[in-house]
Amino acid sequence: MDHPLIVFQNASLGYGRKVILQDVSFEIFDGDYLGMVGPNGAGKTTILRAILGTLSPIKGEVRVIPKGSSPIRFGYVPQRDAIDSFLPYTAEEVVTMGRYKDIGVLRRPRTEDRRIVQESLEHVRVAEIRSRRFNDLSGGQKQRVLIARALAAKPDVLVLDEPTNGMDLSSRVSILDLITSLHSNDGLTVIMVSHLLDDVANHVRRIAIVEQEFFRVGTVQEVLTGDNLTAMYRMPVRVEHLGKSTVILAGGGHGTA
Amino acid sequence: MALHEVFSTIVREFPLAFYGSILVGVICAYLGVYIVARRVIFLGAVLTQVSVLGLALTFLPVLAMPHTVGSAAMTLVTVVILSRLLTGKKIPRDAVLGVVFASSVAVRILVMQKTPRVEAAEIENLLRGDILFVTPELFVLMAGAFVVVMAIQLLFFKEFAYMSFDPETAATQGYRTGAWELLFYLLAGVVISFSTHMVGDIFVFGYLVLPPVAAMLLVRRVRSIFLVSVLIGGIAPVIGLVLAFLFDLPSSPTIVAVAFVVLVVAWMQGVVRGRK
Repeated sequence: MDHPLIVFQNASLGYGRKVILQDVSFEIFDGDYLGMVGPNGAGKTTILRAILGTLSPIKGEVRVIPKGSSPIRFGYVPQRDAIDSFLPYTAEEVVTMGRYKDIGVLRRPRTEDRRIVQESLEHVRVAEIRSRRFNDLSGGQKQRVLIARALAAKPDVLVLDEPTNGMDLSSRVSILDLITSLHSNDGLTVIMVSHLLDDVANHVRRIAIVEQEFFRVGTVQEVLTGDNLTAMYRMPVRVEHLGKSTVILAGGGHGTA
Repeated sequence: MALHEVFSTIVREFPLAFYGSILVGVICAYLGVYIVARRVIFLGAVLTQVSVLGLALTFLPVLAMPHTVGSAAMTLVTVVILSRLLTGKKIPRDAVLGVVFASSVAVRILVMQKTPRVEAAEIENLLRGDILFVTPELFVLMAGAFVVVMAIQLLFFKEFAYMSFDPETAATQGYRTGAWELLFYLLAGVVISFSTHMVGDIFVFGYLVLPPVAAMLLVRRVRSIFLVSVLIGGIAPVIGLVLAFLFDLPSSPTIVAVAFVVLVVAWMQGVVRGRK
């Protein structure tokens, strides 16, 4: 995990003249499993956009370094609530969209593309709902279909924006286990944004705390400390370890952050 | 007069009206599926009004030019400006469209006040959309726009579908979503301006909305929705023309009324199907 894939060098990020994050420097490595946490509006999604190349830095640079001769391929999983279409696409049609760039303009999906789509659906265990309409699926099923679409693009790096937002406990655990297995079994580099600290703390290998005036990156043990979280949320936060699990206690220890 | 006689009379005596209304019905019904799916129906209403304003402006001596050129120019410039304004965060999207809508209608009324009485009446006729008097030049222009726009839409069907469904993810795969979006609205702008000049704003706006919504109620596959919407857009204007001829009614409102009846039937069958 020593080959840097993405390098932020004194990058200032924002929209128009509004700077959201200033002078950010860090690296994401090949094989990394990085979680980004922080309060709402802190700039987590802004960093994702810079990684994905849809947002250019105002200052400094964000470099994506190829592993070999071909460029790094990203598989993006957006917040599922951001997809709001009246058109009743099936799960299979949604996953096929992940192949569109490879299929190219003026061409139809080939046998190879259809095979990749089926494999992706099977890989995330939603092959049986391939013909169901995306809009009719549960939150967890939608998330799996969107992950399948990202996998259909044959990515080197999987980027997920709030993948467990608004899910019940069992769906959350199931989706996080799936993401972790894509990292550990399939060797994908994974970057995951979440405002749910527990989700991130108990799954990722490294963590980035994103806040406008407080940016830290390191291993979970290095970064996820009571002091750092107290500084980020501007309220008392404690971090407890129960066996292999990390528990975040906020507001004097009466609840989890 | 029997129905088949009315039909053959319309085809024989008013072929441009007959085929023109089908062209407009089909292309508006097709583009309307995206417009309804993207929840930008108000944009359709705004562009029809801007198109009418562009048309009205050509009646002013200082802006004298072919009506079609004025209408198309005004619509396309508005599309380009709106593509910038609608992505901004300072003014809500609906508010931007509301400003353009209200201003267009107000300026059009002012323009009509300052044009000679005869020409103001001509503008009114154009607004009402007297399909029976479509000129050969306008028909050829519309037919050309139909072929070009439908060819682009069908050749790039999957790209337009992806951009409409999830532009954010498409952008991460290297698609220039802003450019695709602008292309879609420019094509829609061309269709709306030519169609409005040809059949009037009621017909155009009605067929951007009614056939797609009816199709969404009738079928549950994306390609079927496009197909059924286009079928309604192609058949309902013919029925409307026949009824307008039979009962001496204005053509455009009758054609829109037929599409509305189709929508009501689609809704009712949805209710019945839901109860089973």
